[in-house]
Amino acid sequence: MRIYYKATYTYKIFRAFCKSLNNLITTLGTIVMFGIEFFKGLRYKPTTFPELMSQCYRFGVTSLPITLSIVGMTSVIVAMQVAGEMVKQGAGNYVGMLVAILMVREEAVIMAGFAIISMIGSSLASEIATMKVTEQIDAIRVLKVNPIHYLFTPRVLAGTLMMPIVVIVSSLVGIVGGAIAANLVSGLTFKAYFDSVWFGINMHDLQVCISKSFAFGFVISLICCSCGMEARDGAKGVGLATTKAVVWSFVAIVIVDLIFAAACFY
Amino acid sequence: MSIEVRNLVKTFDNKTILDNISFKVDDGKILSIVGFSGSGKSTVLKLISGLIEKDSGDIITTGGDVAMVFQYSALFDSLNVFDNISFALQERKDLRGKYTRKELEKIVAEKLELVGLSGIENKYPSELSGGMQKRVSFARAIVTEPKIILYDEPTAGLDPISSTLIEDYIVRLKNETHAASIVVTHQMSTIRRTADSVLMLYNGHAVFEGSPDELCREETPYTKQFVEAALDGPMKMN
Repeated sequence: MRIYYKATYTYKIFRAFCKSLNNLITTLGTIVMFGIEFFKGLRYKPTTFPELMSQCYRFGVTSLPITLSIVGMTSVIVAMQVAGEMVKQGAGNYVGMLVAILMVREEAVIMAGFAIISMIGSSLASEIATMKVTEQIDAIRVLKVNPIHYLFTPRVLAGTLMMPIVVIVSSLVGIVGGAIAANLVSGLTFKAYFDSVWFGINMHDLQVCISKSFAFGFVISLICCSCGMEARDGAKGVGLATTKAVVWSFVAIVIVDLIFAAACFY
Repeated sequence: MSIEVRNLVKTFDNKTILDNISFKVDDGKILSIVGFSGSGKSTVLKLISGLIEKDSGDIITTGGDVAMVFQYSALFDSLNVFDNISFALQERKDLRGKYTRKELEKIVAEKLELVGLSGIENKYPSELSGGMQKRVSFARAIVTEPKIILYDEPTAGLDPISSTLIEDYIVRLKNETHAASIVVTHQMSTIRRTADSVLMLYNGHAVFEGSPDELCREETPYTKQFVEAALDGPMKMN
């Protein structure tokens, strides 16, 4: 009886693992297929300017307050924690450089990514998932319009184009926030801080930051649209699709970040 | 003949939903598909409209567009009535750019007049009643002059008077467009008022095919049970 129980338990774990692996491969495959279809859509379905602008506004403007708050506060926290200590150790001239490198290389882009996923990605996924479960996507198909071209093209394009702008603005706010915090905490002058910033940042950092932002914007919007498109079974399905979109996007941008870090800095 | 279905088979997860279903609908005629929930009625419409793939069998149409009116209208809630109705004309690859704004406005006005809803072009679906949404979805369906119109439970969720109105519009659209129509319904009033022929499905099989009068004569155990809405009979609810 005991042996039987153990075998059943092992089998259950194995079955759950296989199911998860199957889901993972299926979702990855679906996202890749939708990605290919998106690129086809760029060719076949010219996105109208107002439609693109509306999605750009959604990505770039509506997300900005929360993104700036998160990135700004993160840089203030970093500056508060390191500025006092570094000034004491005689390394005050490196505070600006440290905050700037942290912002441009990592913090601004990853924090903006998290903010965009939480605010815009989740709304994209739930919007498309609701359309799916209320048969609006079926209606688009019956009317012989490709729903991937119609829905994905403006959203993914807007996500890809707006993410670098959000990240650049966030980085600037983060650097300025760090300057204010460093000045208040340790009395470091703005001149010393910004001299250190210019010394620390180089063109390579900016290029990587912008490239990574494009990649993040593309990955987030594609994953969120794809998860929404795969929704089924009513309100519960919308919730599951939104959760899946958020989780997958978080994981995906960390993986993309890792790839960029490995490729560009090592 | 506008649409002919031969030996249609569809299975989901090893469960046969449709098993060798065959029927024909001529131009300007309405076939009503009836049966219990889960009997495969809506699956027939989804197969004909191309939303899902058949396992085997043939769906033969004489060409032209297939339009579908969904159970809960499926209007695009972010678009107003004008954009909903003209959606296919604005977005379909082969029709995009073919019509000027004025032509689109004229077409939409004509279709709205046909469903008795003139002047609501700028309203959003959320501002309309269930019956009005359904009629807007009729207008959206016929905007490309389809040869086949599929209605998935068009009177579901509507009060009896709105249902009667919708039934009248189904007949009116049939007369105006001469399209072959298939109406999936549970309601006897819809069958009586709209259908030229009736197909009853049970467990994926066609258990009755005939006219509405023959259905109402309750000559078979299936039709008797359906018309009388009886629990006892050959059809068991799962």
